[in-house]
Amino acid sequence: MVKSALPADGRPMKKNDVILIVVLLMTAFAAFVSISLYSKLSTREAEAVVYVKGEEQGRYPLSQDTVVELSLENGSYNILQIREGKADITEASCPDKICVKHRPVRGKGENLVCLPNQVVVEIENGEKSEVDAATN
Amino acid sequence: MKKVYGAIFLAVGIIVFAGAFCLYGRNGKLQQYQGQFFDCFDTVTTVTSYAASEEEFSDQMQLLKEKLLYYHQLYDIYHTYEGINNVKTINDAAGVKAVKVEPELINLLRLGREMYEQTQGKFQIAYGSVLSLWHDCREQGITNPKQAKLPSMEELSKRAQHTDMDKIILDEDASTVFLSDREMSLDVGGIGKGYAVQRLAEYAKELGMEHVLISVGGNVCAVGGKIDEKPWRVGVENPDQESAKAYLCTVDIADQSIVTSGDYQRYYEVDGKRYCHIIDPGTEMPPEYFASVSVLSKDSGRADALSTALFTMEFEEGLSLVESLKDVEAMWIGKDGEIRTSSGWKANEEK
Repeated sequence: MVKSALPADGRPMKKNDVILIVVLLMTAFAAFVSISLYSKLSTREAEAVVYVKGEEQGRYPLSQDTVVELSLENGSYNILQIREGKADITEASCPDKICVKHRPVRGKGENLVCLPNQVVVEIENGEKSEVDAATN
Repeated sequence: MKKVYGAIFLAVGIIVFAGAFCLYGRNGKLQQYQGQFFDCFDTVTTVTSYAASEEEFSDQMQLLKEKLLYYHQLYDIYHTYEGINNVKTINDAAGVKAVKVEPELINLLRLGREMYEQTQGKFQIAYGSVLSLWHDCREQGITNPKQAKLPSMEELSKRAQHTDMDKIILDEDASTVFLSDREMSLDVGGIGKGYAVQRLAEYAKELGMEHVLISVGGNVCAVGGKIDEKPWRVGVENPDQESAKAYLCTVDIADQSIVTSGDYQRYYEVDGKRYCHIIDPGTEMPPEYFASVSVLSKDSGRADALSTALFTMEFEEGLSLVESLKDVEAMWIGKDGEIRTSSGWKANEEK
C-alpha cells in the first residue's frame, strides 16, 4: 500500500524513506489530534450561564430562543431573554435597572450584572474570547 | 539531496510533535479557572487564574475573598462592624475624638492626601458631606423616579464649607485619625476599592499566584500576564449602552491596572437630565465633560483616584496632568463617542 504510493521509479525503499514516512504519519496524527481536540474545546456551543450569588443556576444555549424568569428571594426577579443568539435582561425588580439598560450580550466573557439581585449572566464557550475582562 | 529533505522533515516532525506535547503537558498541569463573589464594595468581583485543580482554585478564592472583605469593611462609610474601627467610625467621631485605626486605613488616607495634592484638589476624600447629600437624592430618585429632585444649591454650598483636607488629623505614631470639623466626613469611594484591589493583587502574589486577573466591578488589576506570558486583554466598555458594540477599544495589560470612571451606570434622572454619581469638588455638581475616562497605571489605587479626578477636569487640563506623571496613561470617551488618548496609551492597545 505504502509502497505503491511512492514514485514508481523502480528503486527499492530505503530505511530513511521508511523513517520519513513514519515521521510524517506521526506528525500528521499529532496535528490531527491536537486540532480536533482544540476545536472541540473552543467551539462548544455558546451558552448564557446564570449565576445567583456566585452559584450556577442554569445554562441556556444562545442558539435556542427562550425566556427565563429568574425568581429570587423576597419576590425579586430578572427576566432573561435569549433571542437571535443574544442574551438580554428585559425586565427586573431591581431599583437601578442597570442590568435592563445594558445591551444584549453574545460574545464569550461578556456579562450582564444585576447587583441588587446578585445575578450575573455570563456568556461561556462559543467563539474564542475577545477579552479577558472589561472595565466600565 | 534526499537525505537533506529527510532530515528537514524529521526535524519539522519532531518540533511539531514536541510542541503539541508541551502544550498538552502544560494544560494538563494548570487549568484556567474563573470565580466570582459579591459582598465586597457593592459590586461583583471576578478572579481569573490558573490552578492545578478546582479545589486549589477555590481555596485561593476563599482567601482572596476574606482579604477583600477585610478592606471592604475597613473602608465602609455606611456600616459599622464589630471589633473594627472603620471610616464610618471616624466620621461618627468627627469633632469629638480621635479614633484608633488599623495601619491600612492610615495608608489609604495618606494616598488620598497625595492624590489630592497631585490633582490639585480634584480628588477629594474629605468631600463626604457633599457626596452624602447627592447620594441620598440619587437613591430617592432611583427608587421613586417621578419625585426625583436635585439637592438645593444652597445646601450644597453650605456643606462644601466642611470639606477641608487639613482638618483630617493623622497621627501615624499613635495610628489615629481625627476629623477636627464636626460637620465634615470622609468618603473614600473614589480610591478605597482601587487601593484594596492593589493590595489584593499583592496578596495573591504572596499566595504564590503568578498569573491573575482581578476585576472588582470593572476595576481591573493584573498580576503578571497569562500563563503563556501573553498579556491579559481588557475591553473598555462602550458607554453607549444601546450600541451593539460592547467595547470601544481593548488594551493589553501585565502587572498593570486599568480603572474607568463613567456616567452611564450609576446615575439618576431629574426632568429627563442625567446626573451621575461623580461630583466635581469645584462646583458641587456632576461634571459633564465625558461619558467615561479610563486610566492605566502600575498602581490600582492611583488609577482609581486619577480616573475620578480626570472625569471632573477638562480634557486639556487632564491631559497635561497625565503627561506629567510617570507610568500613567489615559483614554477619554466624549459624550458623542469621540475618543482621545494620552501619548503612551496606544502602546497598550491591542496590536
